[in-house]
Amino acid sequence: MPEDRRREAPAAPVAPEPGSIADTFAALLPGVALNPIQGARDVLLNVNREDAHKVLELAKNDEKLQMDFLRDLCGVDYEADGLEVVYQLYSYTLRHSVTVKAKVPTEDARIASATDLWNAADWHERECRDMFGIVFEGHPNLVPILLPDDMLDHYPLRKDNPLAPLEEWQGTSLGDNMAGAGHIPPGSGFEVRASAESE
Amino acid sequence: MAIEQFEDRPAQDYDTIDFNINIGPQHPATHGVFRMVLMVDGEEVKDLISHIGYMHRGGEKLSENMDYRQAIGYQDRTEYLAQFNAELCYVQAIEKLAGLVPPERAEYIRVILAELNRMSSHFMFLGAFGTDLGVLGTSFVYAFRERENLLDLFEEVSGDRLMYAYFRPGGVAWDVPANFKERVKWVVKQALIGADDLDRLLTDNEIFIARTLGIGRLSAQDAIDYGVTGPALRASGVKFDLRKDDPYSIYDRFDFDIPTGKNGDSYDRYLVRLQEMRESAKIVLQALDQLPDGPILPERMPRLLRPAAGEVYMRCENPRGEYGIYLVSKGGTQPYRLRIRSSCFCNLSALRHMTIGHYVADAVTILGSLDIVLCEVDR
Repeated sequence: MPEDRRREAPAAPVAPEPGSIADTFAALLPGVALNPIQGARDVLLNVNREDAHKVLELAKNDEKLQMDFLRDLCGVDYEADGLEVVYQLYSYTLRHSVTVKAKVPTEDARIASATDLWNAADWHERECRDMFGIVFEGHPNLVPILLPDDMLDHYPLRKDNPLAPLEEWQGTSLGDNMAGAGHIPPGSGFEVRASAESE
Repeated sequence: MAIEQFEDRPAQDYDTIDFNINIGPQHPATHGVFRMVLMVDGEEVKDLISHIGYMHRGGEKLSENMDYRQAIGYQDRTEYLAQFNAELCYVQAIEKLAGLVPPERAEYIRVILAELNRMSSHFMFLGAFGTDLGVLGTSFVYAFRERENLLDLFEEVSGDRLMYAYFRPGGVAWDVPANFKERVKWVVKQALIGADDLDRLLTDNEIFIARTLGIGRLSAQDAIDYGVTGPALRASGVKFDLRKDDPYSIYDRFDFDIPTGKNGDSYDRYLVRLQEMRESAKIVLQALDQLPDGPILPERMPRLLRPAAGEVYMRCENPRGEYGIYLVSKGGTQPYRLRIRSSCFCNLSALRHMTIGHYVADAVTILGSLDIVLCEVDR
């Protein structure tokens, strides 16, 4: 099968259909920029970081939204475009979900904590601070959770932290004198007999 | 000077001091490298601090630096007791972005294996939970005898006992063996017998009930607030299962129940898991009857996967709760960001809330009833 090398141009963001949950948010929050996009499964709301806590609080407490479950909270590093905090919300009562995203600049990575709304945010925010260095203001105990306690200035999941380059393992390079020596690699100290014969 | 008699002193003069007990990271009751520091007053737990991260290997970062298909192996190593379920979530996230539609046969094979994997994972729970409570190996051996049958089947299908890496974006790696149907039927039959054995051994056992009933209560509201999912949530009385309420793959075609508990204690969490195994068996047998013939991968599969730019949060009902993959693609051959929403991580965050006020021995019960996999917690 020939390799498919066609590169399609990235599709333009699609606005969610009328009547989606984005309209409910827009009606409840006049004057707040939401920039809704239809994602592959959920509606995505792109909010400013100043508005993020207001949007989350409304999502949790409003009658029409009742997002009582913080599914997930994570960070993404968009390099030049800064960092992003992504909240996945769900309502057990009304059975609907939404994704709230807030950009934060890399050099001033701060955002209001959501621990006052959901206890679930506690550990997620600690992990997010570990991995991206995003400070959640108002978090009661923002100490490392997955990383060692003294690892406070090194953020592994940021894109400016590349993996160490792959090294070639020097253990088994199959040289010419391997023919009679079975599986014994040269330089391992076990090829005495083979080298004695060659001399 | 009169010697003060022991009995004469009023009771409030005797006061215990708070005392810290460290359990783990190498401790048989912590199911892996988990460390908890209990602050106890007498034998009552006043506070609990969890220390995790001993198993953190940076799987998310590693997955971002390799091809989409290569990272399938990391899913096995993340969730090493429900590998098929984890792989299913990951490949579905890719399919959502790449627009791949797996053929019917592949969907059925995936669901059968994922449900069998749920049974094997719950066997592991039943065995380990019994051992936590001092059944001294009996439940462990019973459970492992049945789990072994399941692992044998997985080995026949995928070629490996634990690290399967069998699912692919768009389907599965190769077709199942010719005697697959008979083997699955036999394995399910044996597993149900094994589940009944454990049921008879544990459910009405007086000591088992005394150790679990009313221990580690979690109300439905707290469970939701802490993000607890899976059997632990259903034991608290919330009838929620992603297979029914947010169906993925072909789960909407099967008839099965969602077992729920009432009290949200350790005993209910055990009962819910036991029932779930029987429901999984129902799904497997229905899927076997409907298993169609046909291809196992789409006809036109690109050799290099380049999902369209975009993002998706795919969630699946794993044996331990909601397993989520948040995948951001920029159109390249590697994921731009791969986030694993670990169910155990969230369930474990509720441990402190559940343990305070109980005895030290009950802390082990409660931790065991959450059924954590430390590799998934730390990723």
